[in-house]
Amino acid sequence: MAKFITLVWKNATRNRRRSLLTIASIAASFCLLGVLMAIYVTLFLTTDESPAGSRRLVTRNRISLTQVMPISYEGKIRQIPGIESVMAYQWFGGVYKEPKNFFARFACEPDQLFKLYPDYRIAEDEKKAFLKDRAGTVLGRDLANKFNIKVGDKITLKGDIFPVDLEFNVSGLFDVDKNEEVMWFNIDYLWKSLPSDRRDFAGAYLTIVQSPDDGPAVAQQIDSLFRNAQVQTKTESESAFAASFVSFLGNVKLYLFAISAAITFTILLVCGNTIAMSVRERVREVGILKTLGFTNGEVMSMILGEATVISLLGGLLGCVVAWTLCKGIATSAGGFANLEGMTLAPWMCVAVIASAMIMGTVAAIIPALGASRTSIIDAMRYSG
Amino acid sequence: MSEVVIEARKLTKIYKRDEFEVHALDNCDIEIHRGEFVALMGPSGSGKSTLMHLIAAMDRATSGRIAVLGEDLSQLDDAELARWRNRHIGFIFQQFNLIPVLTAIENVELPLKLTSLSGKERMQQAETALKLVGLGDRLTHFPRQLSGGQEQRVAIARAIATDPDLLIADEPTGNLDAQSAKDVMLMLQKLNKDFGKTIIMVTHDRHAAEYATMIRHLEKGEMKPEIEYPQA
Repeated sequence: MAKFITLVWKNATRNRRRSLLTIASIAASFCLLGVLMAIYVTLFLTTDESPAGSRRLVTRNRISLTQVMPISYEGKIRQIPGIESVMAYQWFGGVYKEPKNFFARFACEPDQLFKLYPDYRIAEDEKKAFLKDRAGTVLGRDLANKFNIKVGDKITLKGDIFPVDLEFNVSGLFDVDKNEEVMWFNIDYLWKSLPSDRRDFAGAYLTIVQSPDDGPAVAQQIDSLFRNAQVQTKTESESAFAASFVSFLGNVKLYLFAISAAITFTILLVCGNTIAMSVRERVREVGILKTLGFTNGEVMSMILGEATVISLLGGLLGCVVAWTLCKGIATSAGGFANLEGMTLAPWMCVAVIASAMIMGTVAAIIPALGASRTSIIDAMRYSG
Repeated sequence: MSEVVIEARKLTKIYKRDEFEVHALDNCDIEIHRGEFVALMGPSGSGKSTLMHLIAAMDRATSGRIAVLGEDLSQLDDAELARWRNRHIGFIFQQFNLIPVLTAIENVELPLKLTSLSGKERMQQAETALKLVGLGDRLTHFPRQLSGGQEQRVAIARAIATDPDLLIADEPTGNLDAQSAKDVMLMLQKLNKDFGKTIIMVTHDRHAAEYATMIRHLEKGEMKPEIEYPQA
C-alpha cells in the first residue's frame, strides 16, 4: 500500500475546492465533538484532586439549591465528630459594571474561609484587613487581573437576586494553583444590608472533614441530623455538588450524546457523498487501473485511503480549533461548573482524530466497494 | 512455425442486456503466433473489441476455450487474472487513458508499482520506456500539457514498461491526426520487428492495418477464414 501513497494523495487533492470544503466540514464537526468531549469530561469526570478539595463537603437544602437554610444549622453541624471546620456561604449573583462580567461571587464567613481553603495563598496583612473590614472582599488574582482590580480599590455589585447594591473595599488578592475566578465577601455585610426578616440564612454550608475517608460518614450524619427538621439537607462531596449544579442545565449528558450522534451521522453522509462523487467521476480510471493489473482489493484500499487522508486532515484541523476554543472557554468560564479547568487533553485529541479517520473510512466503504466491483468493461465504457 | 501464444476455440461471448441477449462473439477460432502483428478489422459490432477483451483477460467468455501464453484464463480467479495482465499484457487505448493527476513518468511507473522493483528501479525503467518513445524531455509533464500524439506515446511507454509478452492496441490511431497516427504505427511496428513483441490491434483504419504483418476480419461475431499479409 505504501507504493500507492502518491496516487492516493493526488487523488485526494485532485479537486482542491471540494477536498477543502470536505475537510472544513469534517473539521467543524469534529471540533464540536472535541469541545463537547472536553465539556463532558470537565463536568462529569473531573474531580478536584487537591487534598483539601477531597475533604470538602457541601450541605444544601434538600429541595433545591435555590432554597436557603437557617444559620442555626452551622452550630449543629460543627458538633459532628470528624469535622474540622464549617462555613455558611451564599451565592450573591449581581452585576459587576456590566452583565457580561460574569464570575462567582459568594458571601462567606471570613474567619472560616481560609480554613476551608488552605490552598489559598494570601499576604498576611491583606488577610487581616479582610477579617477586620466588614465591607472587605478578597478575589482570586486571575480575576483581579482580568478586570484590573487592585488592593484598596472600591468595587460595587448591583444586586439582582438580592435587592441591594453592595460596595466593597478590596482587602486582598489570593493565589491558588488553578484559575480561580471567584470573589468572597462577608456574609454579615449582606445580612445587614437586607430587611430583618431576610437575614440569618445560608444558601449552603461548606464543611471540611479531617480525612477524605470521613467524608461519606460525615455527610450521612449531617443529613440524619436534619431528617426530621422543617428544612432537610443534602450533603455531598464538592465535586458531586458541582456536577449537580450542572444538572440545572437539564439532562446535559443526553444533550451531549445527542449532538455527538448527530455529528457522527452528518459526517458519515458528508464523507460518503464526497467519496461517492469523487469515485463517480473516475469510474473509467478505475477500469484503467484494473486493466494495468490492480486487483479489486487494491482499488478499494486506494479509495478508502483517500477518504482516510481527507478525514485525517479534517480531524487534525478540527482538533486544533477545538483546542483553541477550549482555551477560550476555560478563560471566560468565570468559575462556572469547573469549566475554568477545561482543556482538550492529548487523549481527547487522539480520540477526535481517530474518530474522524474511522468515520471517514467507514463512510467510503460503500462507494469504494462499488468501484472495486465494477467490471473493467463497464468501467471503460463509462463516459462520466 | 513459432510458438502459439493465443489459441481460441469455439469462443462465444453473449451479453445480456435486460431480457435481450447479444451474441458478440460466436464460435470464434483464432491462433496467433509469437512475434506476429495482427490487425483485427471488421464493422462496428462485429466482435473485434470483445475478442480483444477476452484475449487480454479483461472479460470472461460465455463458452469455448481460450489459452494465452499457455495459460487457460478460465482457470484463474479475478486477482490472479489482474496480476497475469500486469505481467504479460500491455494496453494501448484509443483515448490514451492516462491518469490526469500523474505526470508522464508517474503514469508509466503505474504498472511497475505492482512488481517487486524498488522505487528507484521503477523510475529508471519508466524513464527508459519514455526515452524509447522519444519523450525523454517530457518526464514531468502532465497529460494536459501534452499533445494527443505525445499522450499516445506515453501510453505506449506505459504498455511496454513491464516488458510484456503481448501488446493489445484498441484503435490506437483513432484520436490522432495523420502524422501522429503514422508515428504511433511506426513505433508499434518497431516494437514488433526490433523487440519481437506480439501485437494485436483492433482498428477500423485500413492505413493503420497496413503496418501489421497480418490482417484478420471479423463479421457478426465470427472470424472470417481469409488472412491478409499486407507487408508480403
